[in-house]
Amino acid sequence: MKIEIRQELIIFLAMYLVLLILPLFLYKDAYVIGILITCMVWGAMASVWNFTMGYAGIFTFGQFGFFVVAAYTSGMVTKYLGISPWLGILIGGLMAAVVGVLIGLPCMKLKGAYIALITFALHLVVAPMIKVADPLGTGGSTGLMSIPKLSLGAYTFSRTDLIPWYYTALVISFLVLLVVYKTIFSSVGLGFIGLRDSEDFAKTLGINEYKYKLLVFGLSAFLTGIMGGFYAHYAGIISPRLLGLDIFLLVMLMMIIGGMGIFPGAFLGGFIILFLNEFLRPLEAYRFLIFGAIVIVAIKLMPEGILGHLNIFKNRMGKRLLGRAAEVETTRGQNI
Amino acid sequence: MNIWVQQIIQVIISGIVTASAYAIMGIGLSVIYGISRVFNFAYGSFFTWGAYFAWILFATFSWMNYPLVFLIVVPAMFFLGMGTEKVVVRSLRWRKNWQVTTMMVTLGLAFLMDNLALVIFGGFAKPLPPLFHGAINPFGFTLSVQDLAMLIIAVTVMIAFGLFLSKTRIGRCMQAISQDMTGAEIVGIPIKKVFSYTFGLSTALVGTGGILLAPRYFITPHGGWAPFFRVFVIVAFGGLGSIRGTLYAAFILAIFESFVSWSLGATWVMPFWFLVFLGVLAFRPSGLMGTWG
Repeated sequence: MKIEIRQELIIFLAMYLVLLILPLFLYKDAYVIGILITCMVWGAMASVWNFTMGYAGIFTFGQFGFFVVAAYTSGMVTKYLGISPWLGILIGGLMAAVVGVLIGLPCMKLKGAYIALITFALHLVVAPMIKVADPLGTGGSTGLMSIPKLSLGAYTFSRTDLIPWYYTALVISFLVLLVVYKTIFSSVGLGFIGLRDSEDFAKTLGINEYKYKLLVFGLSAFLTGIMGGFYAHYAGIISPRLLGLDIFLLVMLMMIIGGMGIFPGAFLGGFIILFLNEFLRPLEAYRFLIFGAIVIVAIKLMPEGILGHLNIFKNRMGKRLLGRAAEVETTRGQNI
Repeated sequence: MNIWVQQIIQVIISGIVTASAYAIMGIGLSVIYGISRVFNFAYGSFFTWGAYFAWILFATFSWMNYPLVFLIVVPAMFFLGMGTEKVVVRSLRWRKNWQVTTMMVTLGLAFLMDNLALVIFGGFAKPLPPLFHGAINPFGFTLSVQDLAMLIIAVTVMIAFGLFLSKTRIGRCMQAISQDMTGAEIVGIPIKKVFSYTFGLSTALVGTGGILLAPRYFITPHGGWAPFFRVFVIVAFGGLGSIRGTLYAAFILAIFESFVSWSLGATWVMPFWFLVFLGVLAFRPSGLMGTWG
């Protein structure tokens, strides 16, 4: 079997190699380690979002809804039922997948703009739902507190030592991204891209639109849910404030800056945006003003994102290095 | 009279009054989608800014009154909207997948505007003086003059807008574009100019809604999202691009909303809107009347 080496895979693995050895130099700096963990969580989530939006061409704004549903599910089953947090994360992911498929069902008949609106409506409605469900133990608007920590054998993770958290986040986000990567470059992924670029033609070739769309909704919700579950146990406290539009904007920016429809772009964008966020923190209220402006400027001036521009570079130089694979990729990696 | 009947009629009246404000905002959102196919996520922010402009006028000039506020703020909102269309939206239109790109851009714009409001005005809620004081009691119901004025202003705006669409040249250009964009372009309608006017008109409408609703609620930097979501459900329920559908939907849903909030409490209002929305999309995605009406 011939193994194809793609630009996407190289960037992806290189990023994880760097992440793998980074704690060797930074293990004393809990602040930076903490940021890197959030980078991995949100970066992976942005990548899944990019998978639905950039590759499958389904314009969902509901990823945060899935994230929070899974975080609450995982937090509540482990807190009240005493289930192992690892299992809780999985249950959270499955719950998110169920919600994803339920949201996906009415989206079957709809086109781009409407899907964006219905999923955005999901985003807006989860927070009031959590507040209404306070008697069930969601903690209402103050949030769900003292969620059990992860543990491995006899060792329980704690907030004083972030390195185990770091490597767990690394492994989980790596697996999530690997699933995304594998799906994009499988026959299923080709089906998505076919539907995205030429829906009617893809349908005439026998691609089942419903099946693929539901699969995208379910899978992306599940993967987002896994990150959400992990986040709940890592943070120890989750509240409806996670659905605030500021975090939404940040994750959307990760995708825009990294490059929509270009595989590890959103993950890379995660690191850029979150470090920029820390850098701009002293500006307080002006910070989100600036981020809002960045969205507008980035879309207008750099519609393909950072990796998109690297791709243009690749067209000229990299063809010789990567051979035929590069040609295939330039048609695939195009912006949506 | 039976106390229950009286309460229920009171709830219906309050629903009708809110509906009239929702209706003009809904028409604005519907028009901009129906004509220029842009979905404007910054709509709620324009709502907030309309109210803030009115607040600035009231705070700076002690002799300010409402007719003058409308006279100044509504044209200001119109030009703000036109400028936004020119600077932010226009160049994206001929790109691949521009509808989603414009959604993201307007979402960015919404953040920019909201946080600008936060930086300038601070997080505290700002009040607007009531439109009118006092109340009247026809047949034993209480109806504040403010609500009555709101209803009258909103209905006037709606009628004026209907006349504008059917009688003026630019209004008919808008209708033509909403029916067939390519056809309109072929017969020489300056579509770019009409898009700009449409954007301006829709922000002027939402600004009017903002000023009308602000005396009932307070103005906060992020306060535009809740009305935006409601208006958006109304427009989806009525059928994106259909003005008549929007009108019906506004009245039906606002009356339901006021019943929900009266019988179940305010926390159920948002879930109610979402359920309506899901129902609409599941059973009739094109809304009540999904064409230009």
